[in-house]
Order: sequence, then C-alpha cells, then structure tokens
Amino acid sequence: MGDHFSAFSFVDRITEVQPGRRALGRFSIPDRLAEFPSCLVAEALGQLAAWAAMAAVAFQRRPVAGLAGRVEFSGAVRPGQTLDLAAELESCDRDAVAYRGWASVEGSPVLQLSQCVGPMLPMEEFDDPRAIQDQFGLLCGAGATPGRFPGLTIPELLLAQASPSGGLRAALQIPVSAPFFADHFPRRPVFPGSLLLDAKMRLAAALAGRILPPVERNPPGFSHMSDAKFRAFLSPGQTVELDARLLAQAGGRSATVVIAARSNGKQVAGARVALLPQEGT
Amino acid sequence: MRLPEISKEEILEVYPKVAETMADALGCDVEQVTLTVPIIEGLDAESIDFLDIVFRLERAFKVKIPRGKIVEEARGDLPEAEFEKNGMVTEVGLQRLRDYLTEVPAERIRPPLKAADIPRLFTPETFCKVVVRAQRAAQAGGGAAPVDQRAMGRG
Repeated sequence: MGDHFSAFSFVDRITEVQPGRRALGRFSIPDRLAEFPSCLVAEALGQLAAWAAMAAVAFQRRPVAGLAGRVEFSGAVRPGQTLDLAAELESCDRDAVAYRGWASVEGSPVLQLSQCVGPMLPMEEFDDPRAIQDQFGLLCGAGATPGRFPGLTIPELLLAQASPSGGLRAALQIPVSAPFFADHFPRRPVFPGSLLLDAKMRLAAALAGRILPPVERNPPGFSHMSDAKFRAFLSPGQTVELDARLLAQAGGRSATVVIAARSNGKQVAGARVALLPQEGT
Repeated sequence: MRLPEISKEEILEVYPKVAETMADALGCDVEQVTLTVPIIEGLDAESIDFLDIVFRLERAFKVKIPRGKIVEEARGDLPEAEFEKNGMVTEVGLQRLRDYLTEVPAERIRPPLKAADIPRLFTPETFCKVVVRAQRAAQAGGGAAPVDQRAMGRG
C-alpha cells in the first residue's frame, strides 16, 4: 500500500458517523514531527467530512478541492497532541457536499471551518473505490495505526518580491514527485489545496509583517481566512505565482490580505487572510 | 410540462442581490455582472464558481436550490435519449433549451452543442430565474427550484 492512507491522511479513527450528515473522529499528531501547521488541521477536518460524504454515495464519488468560505484560527497545535475532529454536512449529493467542521485539542478549539463546499467527482478517476471502502471500515473499527504520518516537506515559497501595487509576489514550485502524491491521489496526483493554503498564509504573513508592529518580537498571527477557493487542479511540477495585496488595515491593529494564485496565466485559487498582532506565547 | 412564466419585474427585484452575490463569488466588480453576460466566457467562471454561486444564493435568499435540475427541466417530458445523443444536444433538445432559457439569445443555442457545454449558455438572468423559482417553491411550502451542475463537474 506504500504511502496510500499514510502520507497525506489525517484521520486515524472515525468514532461516530452518520453518512451524509455528520462524523466525529480523531488524529494523533506524531510527536516526532517538528511541527504540524494549521493547514493540515483544516485538511483533517476536510478529510473527515469527505469520509461522511463518500459513505453517503457508496464510495462512487469523492469531494476534491473546492472552497472554504471561512477558516477561523483559534490556536496552534503541537506534535504529540490529539486532534478531536467534528464535521457536520449541511447537504450532500452526487454533485457536491457542503459542510462545516471543528477541531479541538483537549476541549480547546483550535480551528473552525464553515461554508465549505466540495465538488463530488467520480471516485474511479482518483482512487480505487474498493480500497477506499475498506479503509473506511478500518477507520470506523479499530482505526488506522496512529503515528503513521511520516511528515512532509512543504514546498518553499521562492523569493517574495514587492509588486508594483505595494504588495508581495512569490512563486511556488510544486514538486514533480513527493510521497503525498501517492495518497492525494493514487490514480491522479493533485497538489493538495491545504498546502496551497499554507503558501498563501506564509505570503500573507510576510506582507502583514511589514505593516503590523511586532509584539514582543512575535510576527503577526492569523485570525481567519475567507473565500479560499480552488478553481483548478494543480499537478506535479506546476509553477504557481502568488500575488498578495493589502485590502485593509485598522491602524496597526489588524490587516486583511488578498491572495491570488495564478498558473499558466490563469487564476487557479484565491483567498483573503486576516492577521492580528500576536501577543507573547 | 411548461413552467409558469417569470416576469421581468420579478427578475429585476432579485437582480441586485444576485449580482452582488455573483460578484463576491467571482471576485469581479458588481458592474460587470449584467443580466445578459455569459457567466463562463464573460466572467471567467469555472465549475467551482457555479457551486459557490449556488450556495451563496441559498444563503443570501434563504432558499433551497437543488442541483442538477436545469437540464432536466428544460428537457421536460422529452426522453433523455431524444434530448442528447452521444453527448450532443439534438435539434429537438436545442428547441427545448431555447424555450426554457428564454434569457439566452436564440442564436447562441445552435448546433453543434455538447450537453456538457450547456452551462456556457447561462447568464446572471438564468440565476435570477432560479432564485425566483426557489422563492416560489418556498412559498408553496417546499419543492424544488432548478439549477444545473450535472454538467459542471471538473476532472
């Protein structure tokens, strides 16, 4: 099976599920990792919702990419912690799933998703329906082996530079090969939207860092992200150009950055990121 | 079965909020969202944008907009095999589309037309009509309003 169900899978166990309606689950962040970025917490919630959606359509369709209307960042997570995940599906059919979700650690919220939509596409294009069904059975039963996630190398943003509008530009080179492509997805590798989200957040933080004063040397922290939309599949080896511009700022108290991602001259994704000065931790 | 007509007044009543909602979804200026602009060619919409628009309209108007119905409603009682053959809309199917998508100039609904390309015909007015039908359905105590995403899937 190799990296399938381990290199980019963030649900260890589904503790409760009503297909097409809701699911509860868990993911233990391996303590050997150096970090576990917020984008992967969002990915875990999306994956839990995906399990509940796929089960509702007999694993013949699966959500791929889509959009997150709002992502609220409440706190960072650390390796060694266990994420408690909850997903509630607002609607689910063969065309689309709409959902929201919450992630918490020991009862404290760390991330919330709302107004999320995923187009449901033919499973066979992306993965083996039988293998997916078997994995669902495993997750709903004994659960997958905790700690199987080996970590991943997030692609570097290449040299952010000032844009004529006073914003920042950067390039993201999607690797030609990476273990996570074997999991996302075995039959058609797609660069995960959550990793693109991470790149957007890093660029937004770089721009906001020029505007918001550091507090006790801390860089600005993330408040929320809105309208994070993925308009095209990104393939291995593709280059993405990211453009960040300041949409609004409130006298050094907050900043909202608009990020547009383009590839081959076409807009492939966008998002708005709100940041705040961060108190000492 | 022919659906009840929708008046211009009904369309204009919902249009400002529809335009605002579509502009938010597409990241364009609201002035670009005229009633007649083709959403794909004119506003650069992708399949995910159609999903986004529909869910935003549901929230904005507090209505339910089931997916996958525009083509079925346009087709009406015409069997699917007579509406499209080998993925291409038949002549009788084109006429059904002209009758249903009255906001689309008839000359745009011409052969050859792939069934998968039907969403290319949609304009903001198409979505205004979707909202009006959804509102009517809600007032009637439930039921469905049409919007099609059957042919909008990516991949």
